[in-house]
Amino acid sequence: MTGTALRAALALGGAALLAGCEAAAPPKPRPDSVKLSEFPDRVYWGDTHLHTSNSVDAFGLGVRLGPEDALRFARGEAVTATTGMQAKLARPLDFLVIADHAEGLGATKALYDAPRLFIRDERMRRWHDMMHEGPDGSRRAMVEILAARGANDLPQAMLNPDGAAERTKSVWNASIDAVERYNEPGRFTAFHGYEYTLMQGGNNLHRNIIFRDGADRVRSVVPIDPTYKATPDEIWNAMEAYEKDTGGRVLAIPHNGNLSNGLMFELTMPGGGPMTAAHARRRARLEPVVEITQIKGDSEAHPYLSPNDEMAGYGVTGWELNNLMSNQPKQPGMFAGEYVREALKRGLLIEAATGANPYKFGVIGSTDSHTALATADEDNFFGKHSGNEPSAARALSPQNIGPRPERFGWHYLASGYAGVWARANTRAAIFDAMARREVYATTGPRITLRLFAGRDFTPADLKGDWVRAGYARGVPMGGELPPGKTPPRLIISALKDPQGANLDRVQVVKGWVDRAGKARERVFDVAWSSPETRRPVGGRLPPVGDTVDLATATYRNSIGAATLTTLWADPDFDPAVRAFYYVRVLEIPTPTWPAFDAVRYKLKLPPQVRVKAQERAYSSPVWVTPG
Amino acid sequence: MMIPARIASLLREPLLHFLLAGGLVFAIMQGRPADVGDRRIVVDAAVVGGIIEHHVRAFRRVPTAAELDDLIRNHVRTEIYYREALALGLDRDDDAVKKRLRNKMLAIAAARAEAQVPRDADLQALLDRDPARYARPARYWLEQRFVGDDTPASRAAAAATLAALNRGAAPALAAPALPLPARLAAAPADELAMQFGDNFAAALAGLPTGRWAGPVASGFGLHLVRIDRREAPPPSRLADVRQRLENDWRRAAIARAEAEDLKALMARYDVVIEPVR
Repeated sequence: MTGTALRAALALGGAALLAGCEAAAPPKPRPDSVKLSEFPDRVYWGDTHLHTSNSVDAFGLGVRLGPEDALRFARGEAVTATTGMQAKLARPLDFLVIADHAEGLGATKALYDAPRLFIRDERMRRWHDMMHEGPDGSRRAMVEILAARGANDLPQAMLNPDGAAERTKSVWNASIDAVERYNEPGRFTAFHGYEYTLMQGGNNLHRNIIFRDGADRVRSVVPIDPTYKATPDEIWNAMEAYEKDTGGRVLAIPHNGNLSNGLMFELTMPGGGPMTAAHARRRARLEPVVEITQIKGDSEAHPYLSPNDEMAGYGVTGWELNNLMSNQPKQPGMFAGEYVREALKRGLLIEAATGANPYKFGVIGSTDSHTALATADEDNFFGKHSGNEPSAARALSPQNIGPRPERFGWHYLASGYAGVWARANTRAAIFDAMARREVYATTGPRITLRLFAGRDFTPADLKGDWVRAGYARGVPMGGELPPGKTPPRLIISALKDPQGANLDRVQVVKGWVDRAGKARERVFDVAWSSPETRRPVGGRLPPVGDTVDLATATYRNSIGAATLTTLWADPDFDPAVRAFYYVRVLEIPTPTWPAFDAVRYKLKLPPQVRVKAQERAYSSPVWVTPG
Repeated sequence: MMIPARIASLLREPLLHFLLAGGLVFAIMQGRPADVGDRRIVVDAAVVGGIIEHHVRAFRRVPTAAELDDLIRNHVRTEIYYREALALGLDRDDDAVKKRLRNKMLAIAAARAEAQVPRDADLQALLDRDPARYARPARYWLEQRFVGDDTPASRAAAAATLAALNRGAAPALAAPALPLPARLAAAPADELAMQFGDNFAAALAGLPTGRWAGPVASGFGLHLVRIDRREAPPPSRLADVRQRLENDWRRAAIARAEAEDLKALMARYDVVIEPVR
């Protein structure tokens, strides 16, 4: 009886908040008559990972802005942030995926609104009271709730499949309506999606689910709840069922391998045993893209795995100690299952053994912001969650999920965005580009990055229309180069963010499985600024320099280059081995968001705080398979 | 008996679960039978259909026979508890019920606004009130050449190149070409700002057409630019911006409907806020 009352009370609150939206007439579908360009001629910028007040934790951590505010903000309008500040992007985004947690969609709001009398669980009553104390209490409550979630110890009443289904449906339908109304083919794409918060004992196995389709198809499903399942099979089943039933398309984007304690990119099947080709093929088809960088750290490469890469380890501080919930310390052996470069190498190993590569994915960046504000600019960063919106205290305030004080505000990165080479700004065109992996990641700056791999590119190509040549005689990023005897030649072009910093260098990261069956990697500097004065010494390129002035949080573009373009051939090519190549572009050093905060709020930051960084872009790889 | 879909959906409300719990407690405490009016509960095809439909949406499969039995049993219990609870007055003096009903009142206002299809005249009025908000950017047909970083030397070189270009020569450029189009056709100014930087797009407005001009600073350095054609945006027509107008109109209409309702209701009340000592 008490369980029923509690469940009812919870469901009640959730439903109550949404009553206003249920009456909404479904928006009319609009014909998608946008003209496609001949080939992708422009990069579209977006965020595939944004939370609003419909996310359990986002609401608990304070945000009161919903999907409509999030969409208006992303397309460039000013909105009032939860903490009362006016917020506006310097430049609008081209697309947005609202990816609220399926798990307990609306549940915290429900707990907040529940009548206290009916909350029988002592912990839940405590959380309810804390949330009503104000923002601080609300944040402390959320930390406890997340810790309980990580320990698989949530009160039974918060799981509640029946009440959740009802609540989920009304939140989901209202969100679908908002997304549909703001999707404007050709100008701004709003995707239907949600986050599938798969977790095993606090280890992050989260995926964002993104639909290619409109409300007519997407409304036929509700987000499913992954509570306590350890493998992605359940979500893959649901994705396949959706595609089969509706004829639509859907894909999943895993994120934060860095907080999975080795489980995101395993060499084995989830739970152990040799990976099967069927599993590998299924994963590669349903999960063609991985989120490589976001606010909770960067997952490209870790110095432990890549000791010879002096630029590895961007944004790993604070995130490399344990898993998402801070309830299991990280052992060094876990890193290999967490970072993208190593995953790409593991993919080659598994392909060599089974014939199928589960980790043949492209990469994007996104924010995972829980403020409904998709901000990744250092000078305009609204934080991870609403308790972390601009304030004098945020850079140094503890941000722990779990009992140990080891994460602080400044560990959050103002990162990142997804760059998509699509033929138009529509759901179909952008989704299809993701499916073919013609996408890339940046940590925030809008660097334009092109990569084509071919066999017969020549320097003369660079003088002409090399984009057309790239598509005609090669494959773009994300593609697979057919087998051949001659070394792959890469056309690489990086152009600085027109409103941002100059470029330091362009690097090619190669991974391969050598003839002894061992996975290897190497990083090549292939183009850099001022080559006449910066010559490699002992295989190392001298640093580009540093123009950052911390007193004003500014930098000068007196060093670096506006653009770096090159044709590069692999000097170590062996036609008998399988390999991948991706590009990493580094900017010159610029101030980070804590440096802007220090000026804005006149702070003295302790020396460990990261106040400068070389922001970067990562291309999706191209793969070369022996014939 | 046919139960309309709206009622059927009300019957599935979680509110009922809540009420049944409180109701039972209350009934036991009061120790008296309640007057619940009609004591007939009919589960017909429509009700069962609604129950099945809901299950399918949530779990993507029809319930098994056992599950369906359970769901129907639950439906009947809920209905009983609901009626008994109302008869006992359990809906009174309850914060959750108050909040729920308050939201339903707001939902009436929102639904009224949502149900309205804005007339073209409404949207046109919105457009006329703030044409700048819905204005489309100017479009350009132009050619550009990158001449290098913004330094005194490249400014001097740019001047010489500019003169040569306007003589019809095709001077070689020292700077590397940028990976951006040299010729752009019908490019909107906001798109040019995204590609070349805000300063570049802003400077175009002041350039002559039909001849090479500059240098113009972009986010990358200096450019020479020949604008062949500049098309001032015609005022946005309703048809061009209908979707944005409808979104803005709806947002405002909901807020207005809520405020109107509240004002009308407030007028029927005397609100006395006593001074707190």
